[in-house]
Amino acid sequence: MTLLTLAGVSRWYGNVVAVNDVTFEVGPGITGLLGPNGAGKTTLLHMMAGFLAPSAGDVRLDETPTWRHPDVYRRIGFVPEREAVYSFLTARQFVLASARLSGVADPHAAADRAIDMVELRDAANRAIGGYSKGMRQRAKVAAALVHDPPMLILDEPFNGMDPRQRLQMMDLLRAMAAEGRTILFSSHILEEVERLSDRVLVVVAGRLAASGDFRRIRRLMTDRPHSFTLRSSDDRRLARALLAVPEVESVELRDGVLTLRTGDYGALTRAVAPAAQEADVSLLELRPADESLESVFSYLVRR
Amino acid sequence: MIRTLASLTLRALLNRRRTLLLGLLGGLIVVVAAIFRLSDPSSEESMRFTGRLLANFGLAVLLPLVAVIVGTAALGSELDDGTIVYLLAKPLPRPLIVAVKLVVAWLLTALLVAVPIGLAGIVGTGGTADLGLAYGAAAALGALEYTAVFLALSLVTSRALVIGLAYVVVWEGVVAGLFAGTRVVSVRQHALALADALAGEGGVPAELAVEMAVLIGAVVTVTAVVLAIRRLSAVELRGETG
Repeated sequence: MTLLTLAGVSRWYGNVVAVNDVTFEVGPGITGLLGPNGAGKTTLLHMMAGFLAPSAGDVRLDETPTWRHPDVYRRIGFVPEREAVYSFLTARQFVLASARLSGVADPHAAADRAIDMVELRDAANRAIGGYSKGMRQRAKVAAALVHDPPMLILDEPFNGMDPRQRLQMMDLLRAMAAEGRTILFSSHILEEVERLSDRVLVVVAGRLAASGDFRRIRRLMTDRPHSFTLRSSDDRRLARALLAVPEVESVELRDGVLTLRTGDYGALTRAVAPAAQEADVSLLELRPADESLESVFSYLVRR
Repeated sequence: MIRTLASLTLRALLNRRRTLLLGLLGGLIVVVAAIFRLSDPSSEESMRFTGRLLANFGLAVLLPLVAVIVGTAALGSELDDGTIVYLLAKPLPRPLIVAVKLVVAWLLTALLVAVPIGLAGIVGTGGTADLGLAYGAAAALGALEYTAVFLALSLVTSRALVIGLAYVVVWEGVVAGLFAGTRVVSVRQHALALADALAGEGGVPAELAVEMAVLIGAVVTVTAVVLAIRRLSAVELRGETG
């Protein structure tokens, strides 16, 4: 199991603090690093990947510090955000060179496998300089996973990909995570992170604003009411009954949709069914209305 | 691993239009020597002219110009465009990266400079190889010192090409001409001293003793390599978006 650990990590450039006292662990599975542009995501990723020295604190891959230890790249595959590639090489040459430089035993077989994984076989013998942004991105991913690393770090991997390529890349990352790999990717697009990862690290202004399962994070935000939508055999009657429940802050019935708000997620979920039963109403559905990553994120960024 | 690194470096260097233009510049010295032969000079005149051509154009212009362009690009172009990340993200010892890049830059520079100088020597003297060989060998050794310095410079500043050219033109061209003491730290003077010693009587008299030139040249080369390794080990990559 590969574990990346950050302990009290800060990074500053002169007087500007880019990353401020960040502590977390990333283990197997997919973790999304989320934050607005300029929040410090790339600085954080570069420190994790050993391309940037932390001004304070410690970044380790298992026991090894990532900074100034090139040997960690036997266990890390890194996909940079920058588009620059060796444009004079074909994708096959690029991936093959990557395999050789990583010391892979059978570089040709590894390159073929990596190219197939990103579905680039048909274009593999064309110079990367003529590739679209999405194809270039896939060539970079193939080069990063050619040595079969247990950890993959990707900086904005979906940039420039069309929807089909996005889905394909998501499937690839899911498959790799299912094999027990540790995958960390950064994105400023909520939908990508929400679809791909249960665990998120939310970075806002250089600080780690939240980490973990974003649905759980949402539930922990007790200072902001949770919304639920309900469907029942008689919404109007159920609304009256729910108003009597102390945990309910407000009930709204608009356009045929019954919405209620509460400050106590757990107590409410326990109270709704008995209230419906008492009112002799069949409860058909109780759904959290704002458990999306977007609601978590906008809340954290605004705070 | 070494072969892959060397071939990537060489392909990147050859892919630059500048490098190819330098090949043409090398051809120029041979053309000048050939035009000189058309005047049917005496053997004494041939030696004197060819010696000056090889020293004043070959070692003083062609060598530093090729070395500064190749030397600063060997690692510097990857640092500039960000492709260095693909090397840094590999389990490659940083001294190995510097060593391979330096050897490739050196050999390419030597090829682009020493070969035309050798040929110009043979053409200019009407078929004798001694002068061309002496200046060619001095150019090849001078190329090592120059490329080591310029490669290190590319790891110190992103304006390595401009600063390198300024060093060649201002320091070696002007300052070293005015103040004899400064010639000790002029790569051109090291190469000239070596060429003079190797060429014997046919060479253009140098300002620096060959022993001193070799010693200082070796110290400068080793210092540049050590500096380059230290700088590459500490290279930090910064994001575009933070």
